[in-house]
Amino acid sequence: MKRNILFTLNRVFFTLLLIFSFTSLNAQTNDLLESIYNEMEQFNRVATVTKQNENYQPYIISVFQGEELEKLGVSNLKEALLLTPGVDMTTDNFNNQTPIFRGSNSLSYGQSKLFIDGVSVNNLFFDAYSEYLFLPIEMIKRLEVVRGPGSKIDGVNAYAGSINVITYAEDFEGFESSDKLIFKYGSSEYKMGGFFKTLKTDELKLFVDFFYQEDDKKLPSGPDGLSLGALGASNIPLSRSGDAPVWLKEYSLGLSLEYKDFSIKARVLEHEKGSAYGINLALPENSDRVKLPSYYLDIGYDKKVGDFELNVDTGIKYDAFDSYSKLAPDDLNLSNVIFNDGIYGEHFAAQQTLYHSLYVKYDGFDNHLITMGYRLVREETIDMVSKLSNRTTGDVELVDYSDTLPFFDKNAKRNIFIFSLQDEFWFSDNFSFIYGFNYEETSYKDAGVEPRVSMVYQLDAGNIFKAIYSRSHRNASWQEMFTMNNLARVGSTNLEPEIVDAFEVAYIKKLSSDSHVKTNLFYLINKDQIYNSSANPEYKNAMDSDIYGFEIEYKGNISNLDKLYLNYSYVTGDSYIKDEHRSESLSNAAHHLAKGYYIYNIDRGLSLSAIAKYVGSKSRVLGDRREKVEAYSTFDTAMHYKNIKHDFSLTFSIKNIFNSTVKFPSAIDTYSQDYEQERRTFLVTLKKEF
Amino acid sequence: MKRAALLFFILASYAYGYTYNKLLLKAQASIFPKIIMLDKKLYEKLVDGKIVYTIVYEKSDYYTASEIGKFIESNYRHTSTQYAFKINLVEFSEFSSKTDATAIYILNSDTQVQELAKYANKKGIITFAYDINYLKSGFLFSLMLEKSAVIYLNKENLNSNKIDFVDSLYQIVNFIDKNSI
Repeated sequence: MKRNILFTLNRVFFTLLLIFSFTSLNAQTNDLLESIYNEMEQFNRVATVTKQNENYQPYIISVFQGEELEKLGVSNLKEALLLTPGVDMTTDNFNNQTPIFRGSNSLSYGQSKLFIDGVSVNNLFFDAYSEYLFLPIEMIKRLEVVRGPGSKIDGVNAYAGSINVITYAEDFEGFESSDKLIFKYGSSEYKMGGFFKTLKTDELKLFVDFFYQEDDKKLPSGPDGLSLGALGASNIPLSRSGDAPVWLKEYSLGLSLEYKDFSIKARVLEHEKGSAYGINLALPENSDRVKLPSYYLDIGYDKKVGDFELNVDTGIKYDAFDSYSKLAPDDLNLSNVIFNDGIYGEHFAAQQTLYHSLYVKYDGFDNHLITMGYRLVREETIDMVSKLSNRTTGDVELVDYSDTLPFFDKNAKRNIFIFSLQDEFWFSDNFSFIYGFNYEETSYKDAGVEPRVSMVYQLDAGNIFKAIYSRSHRNASWQEMFTMNNLARVGSTNLEPEIVDAFEVAYIKKLSSDSHVKTNLFYLINKDQIYNSSANPEYKNAMDSDIYGFEIEYKGNISNLDKLYLNYSYVTGDSYIKDEHRSESLSNAAHHLAKGYYIYNIDRGLSLSAIAKYVGSKSRVLGDRREKVEAYSTFDTAMHYKNIKHDFSLTFSIKNIFNSTVKFPSAIDTYSQDYEQERRTFLVTLKKEF
Repeated sequence: MKRAALLFFILASYAYGYTYNKLLLKAQASIFPKIIMLDKKLYEKLVDGKIVYTIVYEKSDYYTASEIGKFIESNYRHTSTQYAFKINLVEFSEFSSKTDATAIYILNSDTQVQELAKYANKKGIITFAYDINYLKSGFLFSLMLEKSAVIYLNKENLNSNKIDFVDSLYQIVNFIDKNSI
């Protein structure tokens, strides 16, 4: 009996143990699966934010990592952008350098948008961002360059492309960046010093970056615009050639703060540069300068509640055009007034932009993510000064013409309202769509409804296809709308927005986890391109243009010790000049662009690298009888040493080692010769990490 | 001995190699060890009662292999499991039938790895690869950062009676065959 009881108890105990073990095993399995699932979600999030899954995104994008660019000896944002497929650079008489995407309207500035950590920083005056092109590469964690308007999000219009600069303020648990101190020295007395630092507590994160840089660069130029009669036939003999002052002096202080669901992003950029080729096309003095300050303060609130996510953003931006220079040489004759000591001028226009946006994302429906919201923008000029040497007497002393003969409309204002609706729909694991539209009204001309449809199809692990249609626009810049009393530029508030209908298809072949070939075909129908010329200085919607071409990009390696990147792009098209009822082939655009780099790791600390770039010739606009802008090739090389024990690195680079002539085209009837760029230069960079 | 240790240190300090995607390495190092524990026959694969995770690498990738090992060790401390976990670093040229392994994770190699995969499959060793292309050579798992993170499982190796994972794992992986890589 006792034995039977013991046996029965044993059986019960053993069964309970089995049940307990089984339950425990199941619990452990469930814990493991849940943990795997959570980790995959976290890596998804980081990969999406950091664009490491770029090939699966519904737009044409190239991503460059800052540390890799440093290894290549790339110095700043401008040099990095020049590695991107389909992107070329142009300049003007202010040396207002602008990236040109796929050959699209090289005479306008705002066809591409620059975002620093998600904040749009194009200035209002030109709609340009040349003041940010010298951002030191050490401040850039990642550079994401989207070609085409496909990246249009949250009401900010990208027309030909958008550039997202991600600084080291970006931070993920387990992927923290160390603090850094940077010094650089190079040709033309270039000097730079900067640092960035992160401070963190459980709930608060503060990131600060700062840099100062200057150089004394001059570039050979001339004869200046007077030689072609820019200031009248009687002044042609006063034309000069010489060194154009393109020196730089700037500093920037950036701050990023995150506290719970709130964030603040702020930056002060003081950018000052030489007057280059002169506002009025007369070669300026070396001390003449243009200041393009840019400040912003952006406050964000992000909250996820259930299936809803709320993103609220409010900010203020300030930019200015501030020029002081000698506008014309001694003994200039203007309507029979002789300016014995030349003409001096001070031109200042300060702009303020206030914006607010609210977007709600909802993922409560299976396989859908719906985003809806609005953006309000108020842009206005808040100060304007227009001073010149006495136009009546020819006396050199400045006279205030701000009220009587302003260079700019001091009451310039524009309000913009944008409504957006978008649905991201996953038809299956391999097939996703995004469709939606932006609707925009402004206090001038409206862009109206702009649809967008994109599709990404992943055939298998190695083959991805994309198709995108999007319409986008560029509103006229302040310069194009509000410049007045100027021989070279006359603004118009009747300008329609430039409109583009973009059709893009892409194919990506993944060769391995880290190597791929990407190709895309694009066809861009551009309407109402804004254009002016010295013969017809009023800005007009003068041109329609059809642009098409393709881009091919390879990233991979030859051996286990190196990295190879190559791209080639071809663009062509036709422009229809409305007033003249004639067509011409795409001008001021290189039909062929080829770029590439190679990094060879000699050992863990030492690497050698090379960059090669080819920019094809550019035809002139009709009526410009000059020869084509010549094609050029440049080769750069760099040696990078990293001391792992003491956490410092040293990079020595030589740019344009074969001393090639690089020229950006000058506009018709301005400078008779194109704008020559720097030749061989060197750069030394020392970086210490903490 | 001291000299040998010094030499080893110098070699290790100057190790170099392939430029791996750090996020992908980290994702794999976080997830692969957890997959091992979903093997129903794990107890048959233990080495001296431990899970031995063998990282196989080319000499130039020593530093990367070592960093992965450290990361997994520190991560594993926070995972509740009944088995001890050991990291084993082995160069491709030194891998042999005597190499202890419950699971093998390979970094990129200049040489062919079919033999290694064949041997591992025969012995019932769970195999993981950094690069999905190695699934063509017979490796079992890889992970890619696509539109979302995706675990790939080589369909052809599933028939082995030594491979038997909990059913729930099969619901979160993508099966793949040679032709679709």
